[in-house]
Amino acid sequence: MREGCVVEVGFSEPVARYLCPVTVAAVADRGRQGWVHRSTIDDINMNNRILLKRNINELLARSAEAREVYLPLEGPGGDVQFLPLQEPKELDNLNLNYDQLIIPPKNIGFPQLESLFEFKDGEINPTVPVPSRHILFGLRACDLKGILFVDDFFRKNFEDIYYRHRTEGRLTVVVGCTSPSPNCFCTSTSTGPFIEDGFDLQLVDLGERYLVEVGSENGERFIGEFEELFLDASKDEIHHSGEVKVTAAKAVTLKVDFKEAIRRLTEDDVPREIYEEIAERCIYCGGCLYVCPTCTCFNLFDDMKEGEGARFRNWDGCVFEGYTREASGYNPRRDKCSRAARRYEHKLKYDYQETGISGCVGCGRCLTSCPVNIGISNFIEQLTGLDSKQ
Amino acid sequence: MKNEYIPYPAIIESVREEGPETETFRIVFEDEGMMEGFGYQPGQFVQVSLLGVGEAPISIASSPHHRGFIELTIRGMGKLTRAINRLESGDKIYIRGPYGNIFPFEGVKGRDMYFIAGGIGLAPLKSMIDLVLARREEFGRVVLLYGARTPSGLCFKEEIKVWRELEGMEVRLIADIPEGGWTGRTGVVTELWEEAEPWRGGVAYICGPPTMMKCVVEKLIRTGFNKEDIYLTLERQMKCGIGKCGHCSIGGKFVCIDGPVFSAAGANIEKWGR
Amino acid sequence: MKGVVCLVGKFEGERSVSRILTTCIYCGCGCGLYLDADQGRIIGSYPSGNHPVSRGALCVKGWNSYEFVNKLDRLTKPLIRRNGRLEESGWEEALDLVSRRLLEIGDRTGPDSLAFLSSAKTTNEENYLMMKLARAVFRANNIDHCARLCHASTVVGLKAAFGSGAMTNSIEEFEDADCFLVTGSDTTAQHPLIGSRIINAVRDRSAALIVADPRNIELVKYADIHLRQKNGTDVAWINGMMNVIIEEGLHASRYIEERTEGFAKLREVVKDYTPGYVEVITGIPAYLLVASARIYARSEKAMIIYSMGITQHVTGVDNVKSLANLAMLTGHVGFRSTGVNPLRGQNNVQGACDMGALPKVFTGYQSVGDKEVREKFEAVWGVKDLPAVPGLTVTEIFDRARKGDVRGLYIIGENPALSDPDSNRVRVALQQLDFLVVQDIFLSETAEYADVVLPAAGFAEKDGTFTNTERRVQRIRKAIDPPGEARADWEIISGVAERCGYKGMRYSSPSEIMDEIAELTPIYGGMRYDRLEPFGLQWPCPSRDHPGTPYLHKGTFARGKGQFMPAVYIAPDELPDQEYSFLLSTGRVYWHWHTGTMTRRTSTLDREVPEAYVELHPRDAERMQVIGGEEVRVSSRRGNIEIRVKITEKVKEGSVFIPFHFKEAAANILTNPAVDPTAKIPEYKVCAVKIEKMIKCGKVV
Repeated sequence: MREGCVVEVGFSEPVARYLCPVTVAAVADRGRQGWVHRSTIDDINMNNRILLKRNINELLARSAEAREVYLPLEGPGGDVQFLPLQEPKELDNLNLNYDQLIIPPKNIGFPQLESLFEFKDGEINPTVPVPSRHILFGLRACDLKGILFVDDFFRKNFEDIYYRHRTEGRLTVVVGCTSPSPNCFCTSTSTGPFIEDGFDLQLVDLGERYLVEVGSENGERFIGEFEELFLDASKDEIHHSGEVKVTAAKAVTLKVDFKEAIRRLTEDDVPREIYEEIAERCIYCGGCLYVCPTCTCFNLFDDMKEGEGARFRNWDGCVFEGYTREASGYNPRRDKCSRAARRYEHKLKYDYQETGISGCVGCGRCLTSCPVNIGISNFIEQLTGLDSKQ
Repeated sequence: MKNEYIPYPAIIESVREEGPETETFRIVFEDEGMMEGFGYQPGQFVQVSLLGVGEAPISIASSPHHRGFIELTIRGMGKLTRAINRLESGDKIYIRGPYGNIFPFEGVKGRDMYFIAGGIGLAPLKSMIDLVLARREEFGRVVLLYGARTPSGLCFKEEIKVWRELEGMEVRLIADIPEGGWTGRTGVVTELWEEAEPWRGGVAYICGPPTMMKCVVEKLIRTGFNKEDIYLTLERQMKCGIGKCGHCSIGGKFVCIDGPVFSAAGANIEKWGR
Repeated sequence: MKGVVCLVGKFEGERSVSRILTTCIYCGCGCGLYLDADQGRIIGSYPSGNHPVSRGALCVKGWNSYEFVNKLDRLTKPLIRRNGRLEESGWEEALDLVSRRLLEIGDRTGPDSLAFLSSAKTTNEENYLMMKLARAVFRANNIDHCARLCHASTVVGLKAAFGSGAMTNSIEEFEDADCFLVTGSDTTAQHPLIGSRIINAVRDRSAALIVADPRNIELVKYADIHLRQKNGTDVAWINGMMNVIIEEGLHASRYIEERTEGFAKLREVVKDYTPGYVEVITGIPAYLLVASARIYARSEKAMIIYSMGITQHVTGVDNVKSLANLAMLTGHVGFRSTGVNPLRGQNNVQGACDMGALPKVFTGYQSVGDKEVREKFEAVWGVKDLPAVPGLTVTEIFDRARKGDVRGLYIIGENPALSDPDSNRVRVALQQLDFLVVQDIFLSETAEYADVVLPAAGFAEKDGTFTNTERRVQRIRKAIDPPGEARADWEIISGVAERCGYKGMRYSSPSEIMDEIAELTPIYGGMRYDRLEPFGLQWPCPSRDHPGTPYLHKGTFARGKGQFMPAVYIAPDELPDQEYSFLLSTGRVYWHWHTGTMTRRTSTLDREVPEAYVELHPRDAERMQVIGGEEVRVSSRRGNIEIRVKITEKVKEGSVFIPFHFKEAAANILTNPAVDPTAKIPEYKVCAVKIEKMIKCGKVV
């Protein structure tokens, strides 16, 4: 275990087995505890296993007996949704070759709308969800990166109990992406199509079978539960998986100069015209922030009828004028241009400066969801295509 | 683990009118132990709720050396603050906090203290002024430069009356629009700076409307004040108070947890817009 | 601390989130969206990735459509007025009262003293039932809905010209068009997913864009030409364009010959509208008109897009016919990405019209005057003597109510106390009624006048279909139960019919109602629920195996030959004068919907634009010495409101604009109820007002 680790958390099985509290330097001043992922700890066992594709349904159906299993299900019109399995026959709609989920799985821990507490006659009753054992099966690497980013955000400083309860007891199973959407650029952001660490299990598609990479004790334990469904991986298979990863990376055709973009932003080397153009074209639907795997902004509001009601939070974000408007009417980001800039600076500059990681995971959703084709990849292409001040 | 979003019931013990649509509320938590344990420092704020209406951040105007209550001075600006201002003593409101960082105190002992405020912006400074005055001998000069758009917009008139009589406290007031028989100075608060005969080596605490703060900081720096000795307390739309909702972000910082007190050396004045 | 314990899950903490595919409740775009439900609450709304309209995107209203459904001030129980106050009651009592009173009024003063306002926000099935209730149960043709106030001119005008009063093309086809003529439509604000397609076409493929609008709307930024006509002079500039096109020989002679009739008369009428003459009437510089005419006529795939800026005039029908003339003159109808596209406002206003919630027609625009049609409906409905004389329109219903001729009114999901012109007079009419039933999801301003208020299910709480502006009939699905005792509109209407002694309205589900609609309605002949998966079908869809119709009038017009119907310019009913010196136009903003019942209960939307404002040109503001944010009094001959000033060059000097969403400063107190003589649509877009500074507390605020 790494220095700074304090103590295994005291939750009863199966809750949060893979978490351990650490005193993180950044929050030590406040005397609060932060959380890091067990999988970043180097004592994990990296056994590779094999899962035959024909065993997947059995694995999922059996897993679902004692857990919620979220997986990509293809619905009407070919839309793939990441939803909890309700009954085994839904497994017929399982689609692990999807290109992109419209909504990243961040809404499992951070729903678009949730109540924080209810009140009646002045009495407050918190509505904190009960933690549950659940599996996110068939995640893409970029989306897990997003989840890990959001985990850190909600855990640092004052930890968010709602997020924690919704994400505790989570097992992540990545299925590496071999069918990217044209808007994906994960190879430029180093966030996919496969992930290096942070997962519990990662599956590599070898045709009839998956190579299963084990990324954590939690993942190891899960395999142990269904030992008979897993085989040992041969050297050939491991070698093959490496080739699959290379091919998968090649399938991601959209490339942007992400490093240069970060440099330009951190050095404030962005012509204002770029932001102006975006601000003018934007129709302020909010789609880019709603679909962003790392956007976490929210609003709080109350609803009440005859003394009874609740306080809610819902997704919100920096493209909206009212988001920063104060009660006095003063608004530090009144002009559209500063709001457009905020979003890009947040992802490509401030996140990077504050955490060392950019908030952009290269999923391309902000372009997919944009009615007027803006998107962060277009922004980066435009920016890095222009002369730098340097 | 503490649920930071849950506010605690408190009772309004008294209400004092400060000016048009502006009131100071003395507030006591319903739970005595909660009140006892409520430790805060000047510069911090609390999140004040009216259930069913909403929640807003309000600076604490009282000084921590007064135990057993907190005071909040609230100007009716939006739906929530106007609703709070209609409350009377005995009414219940909900509080969580305190949040935010604090004005430097220990490290500035022995130095001259300049407080520069505009309108309702005196509220957070008042907490600090009270604390400094309670330990008057540990500081140099204590100067308050205070302006408002109209004379009625000047808050804490009772306190100001007392402060003016105090030895070792200099108070200078100014109003932009002289109304209602105002005999004091007319103009903006920066115009008081020359009168204050500033000594280099002092520390300035500023709170007021954004343009006022910007002008004051620029003026101070022009007259040779160290950036590091200028502290501002910023206001932003804030929802959670705990660095999560994102509304109050400035650059990579959150006003609620990295502020609301910023030094002029750290606060990029030009970039307040971001 | 009490946590939320899931009632459904197999084990502790399991959440029961379900996601259903449905159709957005806001505008006529009809985006496909998913609603997430958790423990009886809608907790999210997301776009469908493959739906042909939404394609993974939504506007801000769609993204936030989850919120209002959950509001605690939803109506949850029937209310009955007792001693002047609305008090809660049970369903039995409320439905008994409604049916008894309506029957009484019908018996005493005749079926024509009853009127029914159906709703463009409810489903096709519910509109059909409301129409059936009026006609089959009460023998009244006095049924209408808000289409009267938005696209009545379209239904009349395009029906006469082409034989069908609907949008000729599909939304997808906007992606291929190479010229857009947008007039009287603030497309990015009102139909964002159509507006964005126009922006993309212009920016990414250099399509041509001509905007004809008195206001400096968002699309003007992208326009090649902005024709900024004086309000209400549309016939003149459209005739002017046709004049240029004919003069320069740019008209499609062969198309005109083969596919249209009445060209000679058109040529005769537009001859007078030379660019110079048009400039005098409209203020549009002659050279811009000429350039626009050339661009439009020479484009291969040209689309006309229009909305209420064209229809809401006393010359609404003439305006629509003129646009139809222009399109036919250049051969720009009847092809992919080429046509005349009225953008329908409400999510289901197309459907409400299709369903015959109109005084002159049954479903599918089958005339009540046609004996064979009546016999067909009589046979299926099991009734005799359906009324043959067209009924009253919305505006006429309120006029007659004021006179005491209409005594009983049943309103579903409409809010005329805010939405109808000269709303003070509407309120008087509502007070005069002997009996008013209002069925809605919230206690609207109109519901406050009701004798009985019936709580209805919202769009997330029932099954059914909506028909979007491109004639796409698509499903909505139940995600959660209605709050309290609220019921789906179709169940409520059936309940009223049942209590009136009518046995022909027993259905187990909306799907069964749709089967009946399909049986009676040629254009909906193939619309069965099993065929509406996943993203619906576009009418006409006459048979079970018909694939639907993406664009109309292919090869031949629905009426056979396209009919040119030239019009001459007629000035608006009320223009500014010495006393009322400003021209007022009303409309919507991007963030809000209609009377705000839903959007003002949505935190993000209400926050963006929390209150009403009047747009005033900077030079007018300077002359009047008012500043932005100042409150002024705006008055017309019909009433006055107090409202804040927003100074902007979006409006022309001498013109003002007020969004009508806000009850605190209701624009429709000011508007003129003068109507188009045939379509009976009121002239919302032009009236004369004066603006006065306000004195408060002895000093200028």
